[in-house]
Amino acid sequence: MIGTTRKPLDEVLQALEGKEKIVVMGCNGCAKACKTGGDAEVADMAATLTGAGKSVIWEVTPERTCYIQHTTGSLAGHEQTISDTDAFLVLGCGGAAQVARQALDEMGFVKPVKIALNSVGHLDTIIAGKLAIEQCQECGDCVLNETGGICPVTKCAKSLLNGPCGGAQDGKCEVDPQRDCAWVMIYDRLKALGEMEKLYVYRDPKDYSKSNKPRTLVIA
Amino acid sequence: MKITDLFQDKITVFTSEVGPVKGCVRDTDDDTTPKCLSEANLVKDYVHAINVTDNQSAVMRLGSLAGSVKLKERGIEPIYQITCRDRNRIALQSEVLTACSLGIDNVLVLTGDHTSLGDHIAAKPVFDVDSVQLLKIASGMKNGYDMMGHELARAPQYALGAVVNPNFTPLDLQLIKMEKKIQAGAEFFQTQAVYDPKLFETFIKKAEKFDVPIQVGVVFVKSAKMAKFMNEKISGITVPESWGKNLEGLTGEKAKEKCVEMTGDLLKEIAPMCQGVHFMPLGWSDLVPRIIDKVFK
Ligand code: SF4
Ligand code: SF4
Repeated sequence: MIGTTRKPLDEVLQALEGKEKIVVMGCNGCAKACKTGGDAEVADMAATLTGAGKSVIWEVTPERTCYIQHTTGSLAGHEQTISDTDAFLVLGCGGAAQVARQALDEMGFVKPVKIALNSVGHLDTIIAGKLAIEQCQECGDCVLNETGGICPVTKCAKSLLNGPCGGAQDGKCEVDPQRDCAWVMIYDRLKALGEMEKLYVYRDPKDYSKSNKPRTLVIA
Repeated sequence: MKITDLFQDKITVFTSEVGPVKGCVRDTDDDTTPKCLSEANLVKDYVHAINVTDNQSAVMRLGSLAGSVKLKERGIEPIYQITCRDRNRIALQSEVLTACSLGIDNVLVLTGDHTSLGDHIAAKPVFDVDSVQLLKIASGMKNGYDMMGHELARAPQYALGAVVNPNFTPLDLQLIKMEKKIQAGAEFFQTQAVYDPKLFETFIKKAEKFDVPIQVGVVFVKSAKMAKFMNEKISGITVPESWGKNLEGLTGEKAKEKCVEMTGDLLKEIAPMCQGVHFMPLGWSDLVPRIIDKVFK
């Protein structure tokens, strides 16, 4: 999922300065899982904005706001409300806010779309409802088959491909002693799998052109 | 002079280390000589070469290349350090060509400390290539080609060095990386600071098979506080408790004397196991001649 955190309320209010009639739009996908933009959080935000003197004229939470069909589907039939609003406030990731903007454009509306969250990465939930961590940065050329299923590009703070730096201490990363060194994990895993020979293989520099931004995926 | 020539002659090779100033060096005369150059002056008659660090600990300073060239101008042989933290593969290759063009004969390749440990924590860490890859790229350039296989008008020449941490656990994993560095073109190694002779012996016995020159690294421990700090904050180094105890309450010359004594005793035991010593004096460069005189003359 895409991890999101709340922006400070001050920042949100500043973004909405001069806008009175607000539509609060959430996302029942990732933002719901992060407890930052599901139905419940949209209701909370609406109440907060009302408390701050705004008029929230509609609360809407598409199933997945980053899928244009869901967002467009949620907006359809509400043209009057959209036309009345001064701004949309999206409680979703940066992609959700941009898809919402595109959906509105395509419906012929030029409306400010503001965002209430910060996007903090492609994260995997490892303790349900409690903790998500980053394990893949979509490099476009996956090496998991060679590294015991542990990603050095993401889980090593320096994205090293040929083994650890000298800084690990007691199996912990030099950058954060709370975190396991990715290369010690890879070593332990390959040892357990009987695939130690993989550690001796020289790995070429990554082809970062595969992750040059912005990327496009043609869905066949 | 390539430091590898000395190893070939079976000489015990001594090197020291200076960190460039945070500031520029220009029109230096004796009054304005920055500390890195005055420190180099203190050791120049005792060591064969001096490492110049590359924005060490991710703290922004004068570049290691400028520092190296300044040493060279003064007749001191530099070992130019280059890390993978701040430059992508284009900049790294270009920098290596520049270094050679400015007279650098020794290049020491490191991964580099992470940006989050330095004084610009918001900086974007680069790490486009790792140290093994950079060694391979830099040795390929000696053969006349950049990493994409494009021919160089003139191939650079230098001795390529690398680092290894004998304190690392699991040691086998560090040795695998060392072996990869050798295959990638590393011709000599300097180790992370070692304070435990037994540990170093275990490492050397395992590394012997690589038949590559190794200089043992020593960081001068200047106070009990520093011993504690190193154990707590510097990854990959363990200072024995006794060192901290021995330095307790000592300052100035007394502390220096104790440091010379402890470091000297340590080196008597471990230097014979390898091909040289790399001193990391951290400001106490004046102790390098004293220790060399005491232990090796
Ligand atoms: S190597 Fe790592 S970053 Fe790249 S695709 Fe695989 S898991 Fe993701
Ligand atoms: S300690 Fe391990 S995870 Fe951390 S940067 Fe070094 S190799 Fe990567």
